[in-house]
Amino acid sequence: MSIEELGTPVVLLVNPGFLRDAQSASSNKGMPVLRALPLNVECESTVREDIDAGTKEALPAIVGALTRPLTDHERAPKWATEQPPRIAFKGSYEDVNRFFYRSGWTDGLPIVPPTEEAVKEMMQGTDLPPDHVVAKVIPRQGKATIEKIAINAVMAGALPTHMPVIIAAVEALADQKTRFDTFEVSTGSWAPFFAINGPIRDQIHINCSSGALSPGDIANAAIGRAVGLIVKNIGGARKGVEDMGVIGDPLKYSLVIGEDEEHSPWEPLSVERGFKKGDNTLTVFFPNSYMQSVPKGTDAKGIAESMLAMNPWSMSCFIVIPSHAEILSNEGWTKKSLKEFLMKGSASPMESYKKSQGGKTESEDILSKPPAAVDPDSLMIVVAGGPGAWTGLLRSVGGIKNDFVTKKINLPKNWDKLVKKYSNIVPNYARY
Amino acid sequence: MRRFCFFRILGIFVMLAALMLPLPGILFARDSSNIKYEALSPWGETDPKPLKGISPRLDSLSGKKIGLFANYKRASIPIAISLKEKLEAAYPDSKFSIYHSDQWNVTEIETENSATFKKWVEGNDAVILMVGD
Repeated sequence: MSIEELGTPVVLLVNPGFLRDAQSASSNKGMPVLRALPLNVECESTVREDIDAGTKEALPAIVGALTRPLTDHERAPKWATEQPPRIAFKGSYEDVNRFFYRSGWTDGLPIVPPTEEAVKEMMQGTDLPPDHVVAKVIPRQGKATIEKIAINAVMAGALPTHMPVIIAAVEALADQKTRFDTFEVSTGSWAPFFAINGPIRDQIHINCSSGALSPGDIANAAIGRAVGLIVKNIGGARKGVEDMGVIGDPLKYSLVIGEDEEHSPWEPLSVERGFKKGDNTLTVFFPNSYMQSVPKGTDAKGIAESMLAMNPWSMSCFIVIPSHAEILSNEGWTKKSLKEFLMKGSASPMESYKKSQGGKTESEDILSKPPAAVDPDSLMIVVAGGPGAWTGLLRSVGGIKNDFVTKKINLPKNWDKLVKKYSNIVPNYARY
Repeated sequence: MRRFCFFRILGIFVMLAALMLPLPGILFARDSSNIKYEALSPWGETDPKPLKGISPRLDSLSGKKIGLFANYKRASIPIAISLKEKLEAAYPDSKFSIYHSDQWNVTEIETENSATFKKWVEGNDAVILMVGD
């Protein structure tokens, strides 16, 4: 794009599976007619013979793309992107669901029809007007207005009390430090993880205890789901089209947890991140894997060494259960000292990557020294979970100028009334 | 007479049963397909973008300066080298150069290498861009 803007003709070579992604990317930047060609070479290929065969095959097309005269459309493109009407569909529950699914607007699960009434009620969760633009969501710079956020929140099954958290999530994703631009569409299938602090956790029933990351709580499930729909429908990152996650990630359905501040001996994550205790905050980063382990011993040494054995990379988050946090704290460990211990002892993620490349990579310089790797603040610790003996690790990667991002959650004036209205929506499990 | 009564009673039962058939549906369940929803569009609007065409093409690659841009992905440099060799064989009177970017998912012109990159682009008649995927 920038090369074409400098007046130099370009041809782009991509794996055939990325052609539509390349088209969306150039279209988003206002140049929908960029000439892109398929190159039949394995992605990230290391086999010279395969590369030679691919470039040999592509050569005539490359020459053609650089010499074939422009069409009128390529000289002055007229590209009309469709904008559906405000009322997208009228019909039964089943028909609305079929229509939305066929339009590529769902995550595969049934949605709640976003009617005018439901969206109006959802917007009770903010004092901002419906047309207020919270952010422009990449890649297509879709305008995340309060109304569009509310529509997607209704679809996800969220409650109006979840709206302030969802708005904060959109604000957080728009922060360049998350590197949302890279993670949301990356082949690595990274998923946004949201940790919630403050009294809002209890007010809207965000689970921070047993099975907090499992299905079963509206807030934990619907807040993350709403963000996923916003990324897809407002940002335009569709799976296999612009979101090129190779294998995909079930964490993308929803990855929301509260910190159990009341049962933590340490300062809350929000305080570590510079906010006051009692502030409602949301902290986000993008892991692509989740693992759990039982420590080799239930003393502080056993817990800490087992955490180290899980090999946290930079930009990762441990979920430490309250009882383990208590044990660690009683033997003098703070969040800070634990993070220093873990980051000093942890192998760089690039060591294993480099080994897989035969000890050397073309981009070795940047891969071998991700700046966050030695920084204890590139590790996050959240106290959450129920009784038991497991430790959780959400692993991401640093070194691409990315960081954790925390945003304050702003509540509407009618918050207490709204909380009261929805406070009894909790599961009551029958005994058997 | 007794036989007549039996059939009359049976007939009444059949009639009553037929009348009651739709009752459970009316009393206990509403057919959801009868409820119509007006669903709002979740698709975000965008500001209109000024559309740009692409640059005029070359008449031939012969005698030209052609740049090969390789991004940070592992395969992009080997692809660029392979392609350069083939282009050099096909166009011996042309000049080819490789530019390697090590910036992850950032447009090179937005990095600290901007001036070098711009100079390299402007020194070429055309560019072939490899992304390694």
